[in-house]
Amino acid sequence: MKASNLGYRLGGVLIISVILALLSDAFLSASNLLNVLRQASLIFLLASGVTLVILAAGLDLSIGANVALSACLAATVIKLTGSIALGIVTGLSCGVVIGLVNGVLVTALRLPPFIATYGMLWVLHGITYWYMAGDTIYDFPPTFRALGSGYALGVPVPVYLMLGCLVAGGLFTRYTTYGHQIYAIGANTEVARLSGIPVRSRLNLVYTLSGAMAGLASVVYLARLNSAEADIGEPLMLPAIAAVLIGGTSLFGGIGSLSGTLVGALFLTLVLNGMNLLTIGANWQPLVTGVIVVAAAWVDIVARRRGEG
Amino acid sequence: MSAAREKRLPTPFLPGVAYLLAGLLVTFSVLAPGFASVPNLLNVGVQSSILLLLALPMTLIIMSEGLDLSMGAMLGLAGVTLATLLVDGTSLVFAAGAALAVGLLFGMANGWLIVSLGIPPFVATLGTLGIAQGLALVATDGQSVVGIGEQLPDLYASRWIGLPFSILVALVAYGVFHLLLYHTRFGTYVFAIGGHREALDLAGVRANLYHVAIYGVGGVMAGFAALVFTGRMNAGHPTAALGMEFDAIAAVIVGGTSFSRGDGWLPGTVLGVLAVGVLKNGLNVIAISSSLQVASIGLLVIAALLIDSLRGRR
Amino acid sequence: MMRSIRTRLWAAGLICVSGTACSRGGGGQAADQVALFTKNQTNPYFQSIRLGAESAASQMKAGIVHYVPTKPDSIPEQMSQIEDAIIKQPKAIVFIPVDFKAMVPGVQKLNAASIPVVNLTDRSAGGQFVSFVGCDDERLGLSAGRYLLKHLNGKGNVIIIEGVGGSANSAARVRGFNQAISEFPGVKLVASQPGNFQRLQALQVTENLLQAHAQIDGVLAANDAMALGAIEALDGANRKAAVIGINGTKEAVDAIKAGKLLATVDCNGFEQGCIGVMTAIRHLRKLPVPTEFAFPQPVIDRSNYGDLDMPDAQRSCPMWEELVKG
Repeated sequence: MKASNLGYRLGGVLIISVILALLSDAFLSASNLLNVLRQASLIFLLASGVTLVILAAGLDLSIGANVALSACLAATVIKLTGSIALGIVTGLSCGVVIGLVNGVLVTALRLPPFIATYGMLWVLHGITYWYMAGDTIYDFPPTFRALGSGYALGVPVPVYLMLGCLVAGGLFTRYTTYGHQIYAIGANTEVARLSGIPVRSRLNLVYTLSGAMAGLASVVYLARLNSAEADIGEPLMLPAIAAVLIGGTSLFGGIGSLSGTLVGALFLTLVLNGMNLLTIGANWQPLVTGVIVVAAAWVDIVARRRGEG
Repeated sequence: MSAAREKRLPTPFLPGVAYLLAGLLVTFSVLAPGFASVPNLLNVGVQSSILLLLALPMTLIIMSEGLDLSMGAMLGLAGVTLATLLVDGTSLVFAAGAALAVGLLFGMANGWLIVSLGIPPFVATLGTLGIAQGLALVATDGQSVVGIGEQLPDLYASRWIGLPFSILVALVAYGVFHLLLYHTRFGTYVFAIGGHREALDLAGVRANLYHVAIYGVGGVMAGFAALVFTGRMNAGHPTAALGMEFDAIAAVIVGGTSFSRGDGWLPGTVLGVLAVGVLKNGLNVIAISSSLQVASIGLLVIAALLIDSLRGRR
Repeated sequence: MMRSIRTRLWAAGLICVSGTACSRGGGGQAADQVALFTKNQTNPYFQSIRLGAESAASQMKAGIVHYVPTKPDSIPEQMSQIEDAIIKQPKAIVFIPVDFKAMVPGVQKLNAASIPVVNLTDRSAGGQFVSFVGCDDERLGLSAGRYLLKHLNGKGNVIIIEGVGGSANSAARVRGFNQAISEFPGVKLVASQPGNFQRLQALQVTENLLQAHAQIDGVLAANDAMALGAIEALDGANRKAAVIGINGTKEAVDAIKAGKLLATVDCNGFEQGCIGVMTAIRHLRKLPVPTEFAFPQPVIDRSNYGDLDMPDAQRSCPMWEELVKG
């Protein structure tokens, strides 16, 4: 994606910010902006992995369910062993394994990604429901919780994680052969295959990375919420994918960037933050969100056409 | 969405889900007394009919390389419109007309956003999902709309040539879609929009018009589904059908339609809908634990696609 | 090669199906088979009810079958499950409607099939029942509201965290909250926002509201999970406010013990499950049952959490006489 396009998207975020600042005194305070960043970082962690998958013209609908199972397993391990490190490793590995299985379903077994990962979503929900049986695992050591709710130098810890992933992911996609190959596969799989790119193994890689990011997100969610329950992941999937797409990554692959996803995550977080600050009634909130999502997508398209014309 | 496959599907083929459906029917008949009874099989039909009404247009939408996430929300809004008008004492014909109009309006709006403005289908229909859901919530304050009188429940409870109303609606809808897709120019264009868009433009066909119409049809069918749904529940509910679009998408794909190149097979969609319906019903009748039911829906979907993949037909 | 993989797949599928059929429990053998309908598999409250129901069934030597929608709180799915249950012909049904208005036609189908139904937890708007066992959501909200506002000495700023839009439970509880607030003129409701009964949403909403309002003294949450989410937000912002929840979950009790949560209003899911199933079985055995069993809805705070301080799995139902008298 050209830098100018990202500029248009950031413009959308700025417009919303200016409107909110005019409507609500609380919006522009440093603490609220940090608050927005922390909330956006949770969406971003999850969305960044999906960005890679979508760049390669795939899709991962299982991320929310992945977070739920990974968080519940990580929670169990922390409770059983008292070891934070083991818990984090468990959450991450659970995420990676699920990502690998997705990769195998899509590459080795050649299932369409939408449905393979949708099936996975149900399987993971089933396992999590069975495993948790309606229970909640809660109350974790303060050192672990700092991962989600702590601050370093006045900035929330998840924000550092977000920036770390953004930089690492940005370098990976922009400056490594792997990154270029992922874009190439998304742009045209056949051409990529013919030009000697190992398509299967790269696709396996992006699904595994998506699973790993879900695993990481699960640990951060667990630390932030201080509890794990079976329905923790349910509301996460659509916002994460929406953040990717609002950020300008094309569902057909090959076009997009992680920085776009960051903008998308910020955008969605600002909408919720704004609705809460302005106390918009519960029934109106889906309506307002819907209108803003459509409007943002439209403005983006118009701006891009202008840019091209 | 996924990469274009090299081979087109041969026309007369049976997707894996057909074998799974047969397997499920046999297994449940053996394991569960009462499963293979007429009342229970009618149950499966009734329970699957609403999903089929959504899955039929979803087949066309997916063939056109699109997606509609707003169908459940449109169903909710149309249902609330229908129920509110009936509570006010309007005639059923008028209320049903209004519900269909609401569906058509939203469907056309989807088409306009996607085709004319060029917004990606996933984002556009996610937006209209929110708008339809929000309108339904605001109109009802989030509550079920009850007291809809006897007209619609009576119609829903009626039987035609021995079949429950909802099954009849589903059968008629299937017939209409079959004709539409395989025996009209519209159908030919639907195949072409997904696979050979440029050819249509070159031939001077107003492809955009047909493309918008596909989404319009989706909205109208959400309206019909709302009619059956409201009759079945004796109430309109703003959020009850949310998420049904994903079930519809899954049924379509499992039935052999793919996101790329205009490949579509309408009978397969029926098989996909029935397989999910039979699975849920059968597991209920043999009373399997609930978490296993959740997982088995996913396993069914994956297994169906796996069979296709192993046979090298996808 | 292909063929052998396919054969193995089929074999695996069959084993899976028959294996699960075997694991459905000894319900089939029991003389009195009761079907219990709950709303979802994720909320601990319904798990308490299911455990109570199972304890009652084993105490009375009856069998129990669960019907839970695969999608949480799905109205069309519960409707289908009613139709499927009728095929199975259980002796009696203990029924929690996912929506108290929209499930009425389902109850009428059960009535038409002449299966006795006990209405549990949420009072159905129609249909015929052996009896109603449950709570009154509006009163739950009212007593929670009154308790918190009294604790605040009748003055200060409060926020409400609502449940899911479209859920009757949420609407009724919020009505109760608002009624309590109207009784205390010194209290100001600064915001009422949706938390969707979800911890994360409640946490983020509270974080945002803390930004908008410099002074928040009390949080009224429509369930315990959201109350605990609000507490995480308060902790993260280094702010203090009194928080009250509803449901009396084990986690809430622990938070009360730790001095984080002010109180929760208990509707005793476990005993609801007990009484619901006991009522159904007693009805089948032609023993007397009350047509209405309204639970006391005690506010659980630091002074009285002892009774609930035990995992549900370790509890067992009290005797009928004890429950119905008390």
